[in-house]
Amino acid sequence: MQLTRVFTWTGILSIGGGRAAFFYEALVVRRRWLRTEEFVQDYTLAQLLPGPNVSNLAITLGHRLRGFPGAGWALLAVIVPGLAALLVLATIYFGRGLAPATVSLMHGMSAAVVGLLLVTSIRLMRPVLVNARAVVIAVGTFAAVGPLRLNTALVLLASAALSVWLHRPGPRA
Amino acid sequence: MAWTFLWLSLLCVGGGVGVIPEMQRQVVLNHQWVTAREFVDGYTLAQLTPGPNMLIAAFVGYRAHGVPGALLATVAMFLPTSVVTVVVADRWQRWRGHRWAAAVERALAPVGMGLMAAGVYTLAESALHDTLTTALALIAALALAVRWGPPMLVVIVAGLAGWLLGA
Repeated sequence: MQLTRVFTWTGILSIGGGRAAFFYEALVVRRRWLRTEEFVQDYTLAQLLPGPNVSNLAITLGHRLRGFPGAGWALLAVIVPGLAALLVLATIYFGRGLAPATVSLMHGMSAAVVGLLLVTSIRLMRPVLVNARAVVIAVGTFAAVGPLRLNTALVLLASAALSVWLHRPGPRA
Repeated sequence: MAWTFLWLSLLCVGGGVGVIPEMQRQVVLNHQWVTAREFVDGYTLAQLTPGPNMLIAAFVGYRAHGVPGALLATVAMFLPTSVVTVVVADRWQRWRGHRWAAAVERALAPVGMGLMAAGVYTLAESALHDTLTTALALIAALALAVRWGPPMLVVIVAGLAGWLLGA
């Protein structure tokens, strides 16, 4: 199944956090299976629902592309390889610890991931931040959760409620 | 242990980073499955292996009860919320035509983008601790922006650079 192969591969390749960036690159930029707007919808849903983001994102994307089986395979594809790798590493870690060279390698890789995420965020934001109220909501959410470190769940509740109110449909024509 | 991770998975709204303090409190202080040092190292490993960072649950489960513990923790962390997600995603496809659904969708997208930016910020705070790592991040961003190569290649090259330059 092509879907499972692509999700497994993307899941394995997306090391160092910020996996949404890798999925965006693989599914929207490279393969054009969906549009940026559709990706943003799935990504937002994945973030707002409880549960780890990456697995939720794989599920929403898998469901959009191939229904329930697609969601199931996408979930397994992102979890199983990582679980296997982590179990091996946990065995080594609790056995004899990690070498300093490995730590340097990890630092370089996680720095690059921040750069990749930055580019992807900018690409994703272009079709979303089209008017002043969208920009205000996005900047407010960012400031509250990022630099201000307010409780994420509370901020989400407040900013989602405010945003829905601002975007409410007008009276029926 | 299954209940603890199920509870933690429900708190994972808008990025796993937010749940880390609560998880640390539960697994290090309350249950003492791992030490504080092991928890931090486990999170680093989870970040650098493929798959969700929340696989830290498997790391903690492994320490506490071996491979069965790891599998149980993983299932508790991922299965219940995954079911909720797929059901909501399915309903959502059907409601999409409704005008309130369309409004909610437009309303939530900027919230999601704000969260994503906050996630980048939090990750940058812990990953960019000196000039070298900041420079690597900027070069990686540039490389992706001009489509120099696939993201994985960029990450590997940066890892090698970090290793050679002693990041």
